Amino acid sequence: MNPRTLLWLAIGLVVWAVLPFVVPRYMADLLVFTGIYTVAGLGIGLLLGHCGIVNLAQATFYGLGAYASAYCTVMMGLPSIVGFLVGAAISMVLAYVIGRPILRLTGYFLALGTLALSAIASALFFEWDWLTGGTLGIGGIPKLDLFGFLLDRPSRYYFFVWIVAFACMAVARNLVDSRTGLMLRAMRDSSTAAAALSIDLQALRTKVFVVCALFGSLAGSLFAHHASFVSTQSFTVDRSISFLLIPVIGGATSIPGIVVGALFVTFLPELLSKLGDIHQILFGLALVAVVVLMPEGLVGAFGKLRARLAKRGSGHG
Amino acid sequence: MSLSSFIARLAGATALVGLSALSVQAQTSGEPVKIGAIVSATGAGAGLGVPERNGLLLAEKDINAKGGIKGRPIKFIVEDDASNPDTALSKANDLIFGQKVQALLGPSLTASTVAVGGVTHANKIPQIAFTGIGPAVERERKCVAHVLPPQRLNATALLEYAKSIKATKVGVLHDAGYGNVVMAELKPLADKYGVKLVAIEKFEIGATDTTTQAAKVKASQPDAVFIIATSATPFRNVKQIQITQPVIAAIGSSSYEYVNAMGPAADNIVIPEFVVGEDPLPHQKDFVELYKKTYNSTPKNYEAAAWDAAHIIAAALNKAGADATGEKLCEAMKAPYTGVLASYNFSADDMTGIPISSFIFSKLVGGKYTRTPFRVAQ
Repeated sequence: MNPRTLLWLAIGLVVWAVLPFVVPRYMADLLVFTGIYTVAGLGIGLLLGHCGIVNLAQATFYGLGAYASAYCTVMMGLPSIVGFLVGAAISMVLAYVIGRPILRLTGYFLALGTLALSAIASALFFEWDWLTGGTLGIGGIPKLDLFGFLLDRPSRYYFFVWIVAFACMAVARNLVDSRTGLMLRAMRDSSTAAAALSIDLQALRTKVFVVCALFGSLAGSLFAHHASFVSTQSFTVDRSISFLLIPVIGGATSIPGIVVGALFVTFLPELLSKLGDIHQILFGLALVAVVVLMPEGLVGAFGKLRARLAKRGSGHG
Repeated sequence: MSLSSFIARLAGATALVGLSALSVQAQTSGEPVKIGAIVSATGAGAGLGVPERNGLLLAEKDINAKGGIKGRPIKFIVEDDASNPDTALSKANDLIFGQKVQALLGPSLTASTVAVGGVTHANKIPQIAFTGIGPAVERERKCVAHVLPPQRLNATALLEYAKSIKATKVGVLHDAGYGNVVMAELKPLADKYGVKLVAIEKFEIGATDTTTQAAKVKASQPDAVFIIATSATPFRNVKQIQITQPVIAAIGSSSYEYVNAMGPAADNIVIPEFVVGEDPLPHQKDFVELYKKTYNSTPKNYEAAAWDAAHIIAAALNKAGADATGEKLCEAMKAPYTGVLASYNFSADDMTGIPISSFIFSKLVGGKYTRTPFRVAQ
């Protein structure tokens, strides 16, 4: 790592550490949500950017994680960590069992398959009210307690959420840079050629799908302990779509792009809401503008702009 | 008349007009008393949030015209949670810690209310929600009051009317959201009223056709049919398959939005609710007139609920002091209050204290509401 990168990294770290103390509490709260959405969006980014799979079912795993945390802590009085583990285990098993058959599909058909999974899960969250509390949800989920330090306000929870998010980013980076990452890109760019190189396409896709579900579940558990309340309204198909937007807007192949995407979907609606009831229409227009004008996402567009400027600079020099 | 005498008369007349205006419009001055409000003005809950916002803003004018809070104006800072509990949580954090409001009104939906209650309860900020009490955790939140009845009371009102028309066999059509919650309270109560639920048919939220479910209800030959939903669809289907038995609907489908969508099916339906704008009770008349004059439309329950919440918080502030917040304001808020929608007592176990006698039973005839003479004694 060169000194310049190190300097930027150090500046970034200081800004990150100071941020929740200098911004108003509601912004710290939005930054917590950005961290949670980054975790959920990372999984979608891996599938979209490296496997070419559109996953519209992330709200299912997000919901599973949240309900597992809620049920284990509120209904059974178990420690919070059990909720995280149970949610992760159920999500990964479900992703494997469902992923094996539906990941045989490709393109639009696969996207529709995942959309169906999200719709079914959303209906079950409503129907199984003995487990999920149905419309009324489950309230009173305890705040996380880390070695006697209660994470009961956004400025404290922020650090926990972002440390989890950075860990997930490290896992994602590791996966992308590994041999698996190479196989994934080979599969994305030419599945026939990858198969000819004896890559088991379906096993590979299932593996990433399971990792994606794990991230979704973790995000859900983090959300449950932040909001202290879970209900079906947080895990609808709409939420799956907003998770998909994160890599689409930020840039699916870039890990920092996921953070940018998560910032976009948490902060922009909030800023636009100051403009009155028209804010949802404006958010829709902003989405269309990003997708049409910047097909590689905000990070991709920024990279292109930088390259163009560098070229112009060298041209003049 | 000389010019000077004309000017003198004009000045006198102006002073008179000013004085008479003063007698109605009390002056408020000083720093506004800030109260936060969260409603679902967009998204799935907009049918509730928009009327609630209208009710709140009308109440703000009314309170300020009557002297505000000890001479200071009251200001409701209204935010939209887009029917999303996550957004409601961020808005609550902004209102409480950013804008330093003394109390919070709303939100419109149960999920948002429970999410926001976690912040208000922990930080001792008084809250009056535009929902009925939700999951068990809300009973522990002694400063999160509710201005709409708990679902158990809605279920009781339906059964009271069924009993009054001697219906012993009842078929139920309900949706998987709101309907499910009311049903959970209705089932154990039915026996007590000697009512047998001969068919219970559930349909998806947002279903565009419930004919199959309605047909099953018809086949069970009930004496009356309960419809518990937030949709016009089951009402249309019940008429299409010619169910002739009396239809009794829960308050969730009472808004004009649903009634208009029912079309010709909005006939011969009884709804236990609180405000019939076409024929208000004496204590509701002033509110209804003022609402009609301001918005050129007829108010119903949610407008009145928000109006009441605003007046309750104003009364509590006038009692506890314009700068009061926390437990002091919370205690003041718990005094029994007779509002436009109902009588409240927030010291009650259900954080509402609405008696069954507050219900009126309206009847839709040809798409218009009429008030029936039936009431339930406490």
